Amino acid sequence: MIMYNPVYPFSALIGQERLKRALILNAINPRIGGVLIRGEKGTAKSTAVRALGELLPEIRVVAGCPYSCDPDQPQSFCGQCRNRADGVQVRLRRIRVITLPLNATEDRVAGGIDFNLAVKTGLRSFQPGLLAKAHRGILYVDEVNLLDDHIVDIILDAAASGRNSVEREGVSSCHLSRFILVGTMNPEEGELRPQLLDRFGLCVEVVSEKDLEKRAALMHRREAYDRDPWGFIRRFQAENDNLTRQIVSARSSLKVVSFPDHLRRLVSEICTESNVAGHRADLVIEQAAKAAAALKGHPEVTVEDVQEVAPLALAHRKRETAPPPPPPKHEHNPERPPENPEGKQQEREEHEQPEQDQAHSEGPLETGEAPPSEGPGEAQGNSEERPQARGFDSADQFFDVGETFKVKKFASPKDRVFRRGSGRRSRTRVAQKQGRYVQSTINRNTGDVAFDATLRAAAPYQLKRKNGSGLAVILRPEDIREKIRERRIGNFVLFVVDASGSMGARGRMTASKGAIKSLLLDAYQKRDHVAMVSFRKDDAVLNLPPTASIELAAGLLKEMPVGGRTPLSAGLVKSYEVLRNYLVRDPTARPIVIFITDGKANVALGDKKPLEESLELAVRLAADERIRFIVVDTESQGLLHFGLACKLAGAMNAQYFKTEDLKADTLLNIAKENVS
Amino acid sequence: MSNRPVYPFVAIVGQEKMKLALILNIINPTLSGVLIRGEKGTAKSTAVRSLANILPAIEVVKDCPFQLLPDSAPDVCEGCSRQECGCKSNPPGPVETVHRGIRVVELPVGATEDRVVGTMDLEEALKKGEKRFEPGLLAAAHRGILYVDEVNLLEDHVVDILLDSAAMGVNTVEREGVSFSHPARFTLVGTMNPEEGELRPQLLDRFGLCVHIEGINDPEDRVAIMERRAAFDEDPEGFCEQWNEDSKSLAEKIEKAIALYPQVHLDRALLYEIASYCLDVGVDGHRGDIIILKTAKTMAAYNGRTEALKEDVNAAAELALPHRIRRQPLQNIMLDVGELRRQKQMHPEASA
Repeated sequence: MIMYNPVYPFSALIGQERLKRALILNAINPRIGGVLIRGEKGTAKSTAVRALGELLPEIRVVAGCPYSCDPDQPQSFCGQCRNRADGVQVRLRRIRVITLPLNATEDRVAGGIDFNLAVKTGLRSFQPGLLAKAHRGILYVDEVNLLDDHIVDIILDAAASGRNSVEREGVSSCHLSRFILVGTMNPEEGELRPQLLDRFGLCVEVVSEKDLEKRAALMHRREAYDRDPWGFIRRFQAENDNLTRQIVSARSSLKVVSFPDHLRRLVSEICTESNVAGHRADLVIEQAAKAAAALKGHPEVTVEDVQEVAPLALAHRKRETAPPPPPPKHEHNPERPPENPEGKQQEREEHEQPEQDQAHSEGPLETGEAPPSEGPGEAQGNSEERPQARGFDSADQFFDVGETFKVKKFASPKDRVFRRGSGRRSRTRVAQKQGRYVQSTINRNTGDVAFDATLRAAAPYQLKRKNGSGLAVILRPEDIREKIRERRIGNFVLFVVDASGSMGARGRMTASKGAIKSLLLDAYQKRDHVAMVSFRKDDAVLNLPPTASIELAAGLLKEMPVGGRTPLSAGLVKSYEVLRNYLVRDPTARPIVIFITDGKANVALGDKKPLEESLELAVRLAADERIRFIVVDTESQGLLHFGLACKLAGAMNAQYFKTEDLKADTLLNIAKENVS
Repeated sequence: MSNRPVYPFVAIVGQEKMKLALILNIINPTLSGVLIRGEKGTAKSTAVRSLANILPAIEVVKDCPFQLLPDSAPDVCEGCSRQECGCKSNPPGPVETVHRGIRVVELPVGATEDRVVGTMDLEEALKKGEKRFEPGLLAAAHRGILYVDEVNLLEDHVVDILLDSAAMGVNTVEREGVSFSHPARFTLVGTMNPEEGELRPQLLDRFGLCVHIEGINDPEDRVAIMERRAAFDEDPEGFCEQWNEDSKSLAEKIEKAIALYPQVHLDRALLYEIASYCLDVGVDGHRGDIIILKTAKTMAAYNGRTEALKEDVNAAAELALPHRIRRQPLQNIMLDVGELRRQKQMHPEASA
């Protein structure tokens, strides 16, 4: 596809057999619907796709047709081919790999008005874009997870319907666009939208070779290639040609490969077992198995063929077998009112938690020890560090960071406010002359002129406007179009962490830290700014002022001490200060505040009851509509729980999660989240 | 820019690792760049800008906006709006070429997408009614060095574009009504201060080498830095003159190494050494292996040898692996690779 660059030969790739197999199967049978290559960096993902372009067989096309019409299917001809009076000329050419670069704009992807023609003849005609070029070929997107949502929508639309309809800039057109979608991505950079994910027929996970011998051979070949690329390519030419022949013969025998009925049952069993969403997996397996059989020269698909391709078709469609349990009801226990009598509360702050926890674990009666030290059977991993006395200062504990997981998607709703920033959580319109240029508009207010759109708007009138000024194009004010730019901005995410003694009990802090770290990982992928406030003993502190360095936050998290009472009110006030400062600096920001607490407030700032006070403060904090709140309840599920965090969430009109509800590991989950 | 003298590369005190990494990249452009991580005021930017003095010359078509050799990319020439080249005359005439030093093209942090990849040539469109491509920074950086100061602060979508063309060696433009592609192979040099946030892993991997630099703690060296800087500020021309001899000899050494590189041989046993090194410390993908191999050979050439030795491999690993070692999520970048390997070899179970 690129003439001036040598391409590393496909047959010289070492290892990655599944990847190679998936690509070849797609070259044989386009109905498989493409392949998504996921994997760590430096594993020959892109190299393999580019190399595939050199192996592809030739197809019959109408000569000179920009839409690559198939001469054998006159019923689906484009307008031009249909009107060719003398019949069509047939030409053979290789299947093309069309690269969709990340910088692509809408007008080039879908197509738009033909500028040159419009200026010269005044005619509005359609100039095909990448989707037309990719018809009957391969549309290749490197780093597909970084592709702009806007462009993804256009591609999804075309992939789903097999055609591309354009209604823009005074032209209207509709043409066939059936292509094999091939994408590569590194999951570290964020996941794909589930809809797009499902469009890929197969999915291959690639990892690096662990075998010493192969690694050495790989280096050796790469070295030889870099020294003399053309010579290296010649050395592998014969093998490449051989592969091409195999693909060609498999393509021709594909039509006669039959798929026995009893295998259909096997396929549907496999799909049910893996709990896949939808029926695409069944169809993909059938097509891929046919291609696999054709490649081997078999006339009929066998069980082995199905078993060979099934993992490729299921990798990205599998769901966890058990659906997540429904969220438990959070009515609090009538026998145990959440508020203790006032006087008792102040003097027995420490005792409150042991009582509750014993109720959960049905352990021995209260011994008067500091809260975390009860329940000796509970695995906490670091029993040595337990405080010995109830003295506040010696009660500091350090807990490990628990397991991490993928968190649910949350973002600020998109609105029409223009704002500044960079990141990828929430999509927003931007007012500065930065960000991706996604569309043009006839409205004028930013002075950010979209020259291409302006010229296209003016083009059809040029014949009428000729005035001898020497310019080919004369612009009038009414032609001016401006750019609409858009980009995702990272949100500001403030973590408010309860580090009181009650959090130390029963491994809660370990689990909570795991949850926080998962949220931090998510924050990294979305390029958020983070800050962290923790509250314990009598006070809340800003542990981490707003920063883009998530590493800093993770380090801090590890070292966060736990112990003491729960000054929830102080935590609320502190987070208000942080938010206020941030919003003064950037009034258009939409901060997200995540409270990680069990809500058992027992220290007040003023004279009121701690819990009442904190709920009041929470209502006031939530008065600012720009801020979104999320409460993560760390209270462990047991016979008895207070649901105080739930109350807090209610006061702030916040999204409420239990720690375990945060996990989003099923496709279905993410999809539902998007719909709602 | 050329009339204002730059601080000579050879006059930089200390920071040997950084200087070595830069020199290796000049000798062998396929090392694909270097990332310089370090605190502020450690001569990061000075070093990159001063490279201009010691860079070797390449042959290019005179004033070619794409830095091409004659006849190397006919379809680029066809889409190019420049009329002065010989290939545009009818019949095609000889193309004039010049020898000039490799360029350092700076990508400012605030650069917009259209300036980086290129955009529609407005003048051409208005005057002639034709769509032509106006090359951007990536075209200017072809066969040269693309320098990004504070690379971690770069706009996200600009980073995506950089990734795209760094991976392919080609800049494909499909935007604002133009469809064009041209070669864009460049050595990516970035500097960053890790306190302001980390780089994305995918971009991190595109840098061949990574060096971490710190302020110098030796009082004598610090005095030398102050003295030299003061001398330079007072009389830049005179200061450069003073270092001219050293600059020249370094440039010559680089030229020699470039000539020697194709003959450098690396023993097959050392390939296994490289592979096991990478497996020992835990590296994602294979780019690390390949870069170590190339770096070791380049290092041998720089030292005037035709045989790469084990020391070269070890030194190369120190430069090529710090940013590639598999980290726990959110963990900081490893600084001492050799030490890590010793640890892991001593406690193999800990690494599992």
